[in-house]
Amino acid sequence: MPSVIFHPAYSRYSFGDAHPFSPVRVEMMLDLLEALDQPARVMAPEPATRQDLLRVHSEYYVRRVEALSAGEEVPDCQDYGLGTPDTPAFRGMDEAARWLVGGTLHGARLICEGGEKRVLQLGGGLHHARRNYASGFCVYNDLAIAIDYLTRHGLWVAYLDIDVHHGDGVQQILYEDKRVMTISLHESGQFLFPGTGSVHELGSGLGRGLKLNLPLEPFTEGESYLEVFDQVVPAALRQFRPGVLVVQAGADAHFDDPLADLMLTTYDYEAIFRRILEWADLFTAGRVLFTLGGGYALRAAPRVWTILHLLIHDLRVVGDLPEPWRRKWKATLEDRVPAALHDPTPSRFDIPNREEIAHRNRQTAQRLLEGARPYWF
Amino acid sequence: MLVRDIMSSPAVAIPVATTLEDAYRLMREKGIRHLPVIEGQDLVGVITDRDLRLATSSLVPSPFPPGSPVSTVMSRPPLTADAADPVEDAARTMREKKIGCLPIVEDGRLIGIITGLDLLDALMRMTGADKPSGRLEVRLPDHPGELARLTVTLSQRGLNVHSILTYPDGPNSVRTVLRIGSMEIRALAHDLRRDRFEVVWPPEKPCPR
Repeated sequence: MPSVIFHPAYSRYSFGDAHPFSPVRVEMMLDLLEALDQPARVMAPEPATRQDLLRVHSEYYVRRVEALSAGEEVPDCQDYGLGTPDTPAFRGMDEAARWLVGGTLHGARLICEGGEKRVLQLGGGLHHARRNYASGFCVYNDLAIAIDYLTRHGLWVAYLDIDVHHGDGVQQILYEDKRVMTISLHESGQFLFPGTGSVHELGSGLGRGLKLNLPLEPFTEGESYLEVFDQVVPAALRQFRPGVLVVQAGADAHFDDPLADLMLTTYDYEAIFRRILEWADLFTAGRVLFTLGGGYALRAAPRVWTILHLLIHDLRVVGDLPEPWRRKWKATLEDRVPAALHDPTPSRFDIPNREEIAHRNRQTAQRLLEGARPYWF
Repeated sequence: MLVRDIMSSPAVAIPVATTLEDAYRLMREKGIRHLPVIEGQDLVGVITDRDLRLATSSLVPSPFPPGSPVSTVMSRPPLTADAADPVEDAARTMREKKIGCLPIVEDGRLIGIITGLDLLDALMRMTGADKPSGRLEVRLPDHPGELARLTVTLSQRGLNVHSILTYPDGPNSVRTVLRIGSMEIRALAHDLRRDRFEVVWPPEKPCPR
């Protein structure tokens, strides 16, 4: 049985009602699974300790988060990305963030020590956080901390980031690490936050050639996405032979997402998740740890993650959304409540330069492979 | 941004009597392409890897022998800049004269050097590409107060602008590219359009058909 990790304390990681990184997204997802008669059986983690954080973060950074968390004034907090419009400070933020880190770390422990294969952490994925800098809604980097745990316990990690934003924090923290391959697919930094993630960022030192970035054109649709996904990811995994996959499953590449410009549908997400599970079976003896991540369309993200939950349990992805669920969340969704788990079939968009977008993505994938391959042998 | 903010200091320099061979070796060792040449304390010339290659190439009818002093090949007098010059002035000089570096001189003494690569670094810093940020592009009418109207809107939202780049775009408008430390550029673009700004990026998203 796959393990699903969650704790009600996750909801304390909240920057306020108007902020897009809202705990309501997971609440809606759990509620939807219940309504679909497939309730999530979750296990509770412990919050990460300060010691866990210091594996990745600087002590002076953690100290500042703790001070803000206790309601103290930290005059230089903005130099550390804290107390900004994206990542505002709030009471209890240190503990709230440690809960999310603890969940992802728990997933890593289950795989290392419990022999678990598939783990889904219903939170975390805070891939922008750096050693000493909060960024893009992320305070502590749960992914880097869990990856550090996995590598110290002998599993080399392939980190796959399908969030629409570049996984810059994870990449930066592990840039020279030869035990970790990172692969990030994202909307090109020429257009979208955080601005990094070009094909030329390949890692340095012993990690050279192991940090892969596939920046995609704005308005990329599923067909083009899957084409380059298939071209790059299995080739990289085959080369690197990781012991475990860690996947940041952000849902913000969905066409309904208010923060970014990719055009994936729920069908595309199903295809992506199926491939990842297949590749885990092929390359890592089935070991895969999923976290959530971005995904700011309340109409889309809970459905995308519900689909992920069903797939890792080998359950079928079909069905209309139950009426009680639709009624309950009608107001939250401002009356535009989806009818089914999947988007209306099949969603097509008026994108005038579709061919050019696909062509440019193809070229980017090729350039990436040409740049990385010399380091692979 | 001033030259002193981007220059390498101190600069690696060589005396006039240095041989071509030794200058070449020094460039290889340090991984550099430009060497200011000094006589005592004074800067007297500049020699580049290109100067060396052209002077010693076997394709040249009478190449200089490796033991020749650099004074026979260097450019002189050298073009220099002041540490307090704006970066864009240094860039203009280098572009107009088609040269790859400028030694920086203060009171006649060499204190640093900038090269074309330093200017590229400066470009990256000026465009804010070295900090986590999102891109906003707005076309503004080319008359007073428009840029102020835009930045006031941003500051009201507490947004930190990492960089602003403005350039002419047609006869009566300018295009302003901003890097802003925020994930929520789309929401911002929406509000700016409501306030009748012409937002070029991000555009409205296509709707499902």
